[in-house]
Amino acid sequence: MSTIKARTDHPLVDTTEPNLLEQTFDYNLPPKIVFDGPIIEHIDGKPVEFDPVAAVQRDIFITDTTFRDGQQARPPYTVEQMVHLYDLLAKLGGPNGIIRQTEFFLYTKNDRETLDRCRELGHQFPECTGWIRAVKGDFRLVKEAGLKETGMLTSSSDYHIFNKLKFKSRKACMDSYCEVVDAAFEAGVRPRCHREDVTRADWDGFIMPFVDRLMRMSEQVPDELSVKIRICDTMGFGISYPGVELPRSIPKMIYKLNQECGVPSDRLEWHGHNDFHKTHINGASAWLYGCDALNGTLFGFGERCGNPPVEGAIIEYISLKGDLCGIRTEVISEMADYMRSIGLPIPDNYPLVGKHFNTTRAGIHAGGLRSDERIYNIFDTTKLLNRPPRVALTDKSGTDGVVHWINEFFGLKKDDRISKIKCHKVARWVMDQYEVHGRMTAISDEELETQVQELMPVYWKKHRS
Amino acid sequence: MATVDERVVAVTARVLKIETSEIKPQDDFTADLGAESVQSIELVAMFEEEFGIEMEEDAALAVSTVGSAVEYITEVCKEQGVEV
Repeated sequence: MSTIKARTDHPLVDTTEPNLLEQTFDYNLPPKIVFDGPIIEHIDGKPVEFDPVAAVQRDIFITDTTFRDGQQARPPYTVEQMVHLYDLLAKLGGPNGIIRQTEFFLYTKNDRETLDRCRELGHQFPECTGWIRAVKGDFRLVKEAGLKETGMLTSSSDYHIFNKLKFKSRKACMDSYCEVVDAAFEAGVRPRCHREDVTRADWDGFIMPFVDRLMRMSEQVPDELSVKIRICDTMGFGISYPGVELPRSIPKMIYKLNQECGVPSDRLEWHGHNDFHKTHINGASAWLYGCDALNGTLFGFGERCGNPPVEGAIIEYISLKGDLCGIRTEVISEMADYMRSIGLPIPDNYPLVGKHFNTTRAGIHAGGLRSDERIYNIFDTTKLLNRPPRVALTDKSGTDGVVHWINEFFGLKKDDRISKIKCHKVARWVMDQYEVHGRMTAISDEELETQVQELMPVYWKKHRS
Repeated sequence: MATVDERVVAVTARVLKIETSEIKPQDDFTADLGAESVQSIELVAMFEEEFGIEMEEDAALAVSTVGSAVEYITEVCKEQGVEV
């Protein structure tokens, strides 16, 4: 590919009217993801086509593990906190159950009280499910809690089988797991096998034979009890793009389970980790390759580097579907505020909810915002997230930055906006902070408010009274 | 009474902190006289104050030289009935 055989001419398409590509970048929604062809992966020497358009038409959804994996990364939530977050998850996911399930520990009195209180809220979604060890006795807890489904650990790599769980052989391990699955069937509980560490496991030698056996076992029970498979990329080794070998290839893993072992998409779930900055895209790719469920946590809080962020999955979902589908995106901001209020740090530059996620500092960018906020804002963040685009003022903000801040502060739109000329005294004060006083920090909203009151008294009286 | 030229030069000297003798009609506010972004805005604001006029922001900021500022301000004064 390094040799260019012939150059193709690309004639300029001149126009005096801008083409803002609004079919994709409809400002009222997160930008649409539009596919223009299949994804090709070579599996066992043959090209396999994945049709992303068909994938998006499936009933893909999000599952949540904020109270399980999310809680393994922080001090325990209180019962009240979990109940409130559950309520917000229900609002965020909406009546169509885009956030379809969330899982709970069942071991302590607090765990069980939380589950009861969440169910008392009466939300249809997210459905409450359990999480237990692969221990037969634990099904008593699931049954007592009245849950229809529970996750159970079925770790899959030899790191876990031999070095952690100390099984003598893979067969002994598989037999043990299958006994627990049988116990689930007997208890009338649907088992969701969490195949831990699949991205370091022997697919031909263990993963697929085990899934084959689970599928045979599932044929003996009613559909509603048939085994679900959670594909757990425990260490974040999974790779989303084609051309990678197993066990790290996400397309190959999902294809094998879906097309060779025959696990339907609605019984496949992806659970990732962010150790290599891949967690969100790996999860989204799993949807395209054949998993219906993408498992995540609020704001990605989870073991070590975290999990796919649920709010990121929500935006991805809307981008893929091209519709809100009943999702209430503004709840994302409410959740972030709540998380901050209970002491969970969210970095300022964190997408969608960080303090500065839609704040621009450079004056030239603020100039763009001043003339058309779409130029430097990802979508209508005021409408979808209750977060108008902001400018933070530093020596790089320029007059445009100051003017944008003042107009946003007064809430002025279009023709009502105050011109640069009328803001010159505040702009001078800002510049002097750096040029005369040698300031090294950004200017706070409170400081600027004081200056606007003092230096623009007429406007202050008009717009703040 | 000072002429429009003299008043424009005086305001320019005050805002940019230079001597009036250094300012020539053909001088570009930015390239020759060193006006920075905020100073360009201050110049327009001070011209408005000096002459008691309101200038259209984009048009005023598009004026690049001292001589063209004199012409533009004279025209705006005329339009707004301000005697100069």
